[in-house]
Amino acid sequence: MNSHGVTPLDAPLARFGVAASFEGDLALLGLRGEIDASSARVLGAFVEALAASGYPSVVLDIAELESLDAAGLAVVASAAGTLVGAGGGLTIRSSSTDVARVLDITWLSDLIGIELSPGRNHLGPEQERRLSAPPPGLGQAGSAEDPMTVTAIPTNEDVVDSALGLVVALARATVGGADGASVTLRRHGRLATVAASDQTILDMDADQYATGEGPCVDAAIEGRWFHAESLEAEPRWPAFTPKARALGISAILSSPLLVRDRPVGALNMYSRTATAFEIEDQKLAGVFATEASNVLAAAGVDIADDQLAGRFRLALRTREIIAEAQGVIMEREDIGDKEAFDVLRRSSGLSGKPLREEARDVIGSTHRPDSGTEIRSPERHHD
Amino acid sequence: MTDQTANTLDEFRRDALLSHGELWLRYFELGGMSSALEVEAFLYEALEPSPHDRDLIAHALNERFVELGGNHPVPYAEDLRV
Repeated sequence: MNSHGVTPLDAPLARFGVAASFEGDLALLGLRGEIDASSARVLGAFVEALAASGYPSVVLDIAELESLDAAGLAVVASAAGTLVGAGGGLTIRSSSTDVARVLDITWLSDLIGIELSPGRNHLGPEQERRLSAPPPGLGQAGSAEDPMTVTAIPTNEDVVDSALGLVVALARATVGGADGASVTLRRHGRLATVAASDQTILDMDADQYATGEGPCVDAAIEGRWFHAESLEAEPRWPAFTPKARALGISAILSSPLLVRDRPVGALNMYSRTATAFEIEDQKLAGVFATEASNVLAAAGVDIADDQLAGRFRLALRTREIIAEAQGVIMEREDIGDKEAFDVLRRSSGLSGKPLREEARDVIGSTHRPDSGTEIRSPERHHD
Repeated sequence: MTDQTANTLDEFRRDALLSHGELWLRYFELGGMSSALEVEAFLYEALEPSPHDRDLIAHALNERFVELGGNHPVPYAEDLRV
């Protein structure tokens, strides 16, 4: 049963586990067992996925880690490099001064923030606060007394919102024919108005989110420009248009906000006069939309990643379900984890159902309770 | 380097309308443990995947083809053994 492949994932993973959780902009990975060459790859994949999902600031809690060998250190170093490259950083949370010392002896402490758990903390109260709540302003680097801290501080949403508020005010004042303006952003997987010139505009945006249609919804989702020249003759949004007209609005111009070419929201201009937005006004609105996009990009707040992060969390859960089903099959049929995967894969091929559904069926047949987002190696079921 | 007319994994990926990132996420979801960069190398045949990795990628692609109304066109490791 020895594999000739390049991915050994049998014995050494047996005792390794990762529990992922999210605190605001921070991703916390709690590690258990041993980090060695195999488990290091899992960890590397996690960190890479987190960085790609808009969580470049990662805390590794290694309180329950039994050992960290050279391969483990290498992956921690490479993870830190990835995260710093993505605009974040890696902080190690540990109750052991030994780990801090190891990182300090190697060059790693230049790259990685270290936190000692309460009780042996010598880093001062700021670092503790940083983990429980985002700090009140844009980040300052670690102070001179604690050179070990290089963690990136998440950007404060309030700062971004006030910058966008300024863009809205300028657009409202300078775009000809505009009676109101707003910025819609995708935040936490939903569309929300983060800046609006007045209450009517807020209500109008809310009507669009509630009906799931309207130029601002379309611009924010499709990343294209939408112009309703005259709502009186507008067939595209039948549920929303009457509500807008009831609020006295006759024309809407929504320009997409794009960060790294992905739609993250829209700048919306509203007018009480039909066909109010002429070519020059449309161009100007486009300029302000670019400004707002720049604010978002400069703040490093890639809001579109909310969606990706959600997708990533789903992937983690599915992965756990599949691993658990593999464990059940391994126990039942006394086979290895790859063979257990093949069993699931073949039934998925036969039934035409996705493998995750097959996995759910397998778990359902044992009435095993769901255990959150903890990812375990299937071997644990032999304990 | 065999001179086969069979599609490369990356050709399948393009037919499945998946980005490298999305395919990696699907591979990861199924339990894959190689990094996104390694998976990309497998797709371009710059690295040879283990049979298990090959199956994970093939299955991720096949599930995608089913979503698109197709069947399972991507061969698994056992199909490639002659």
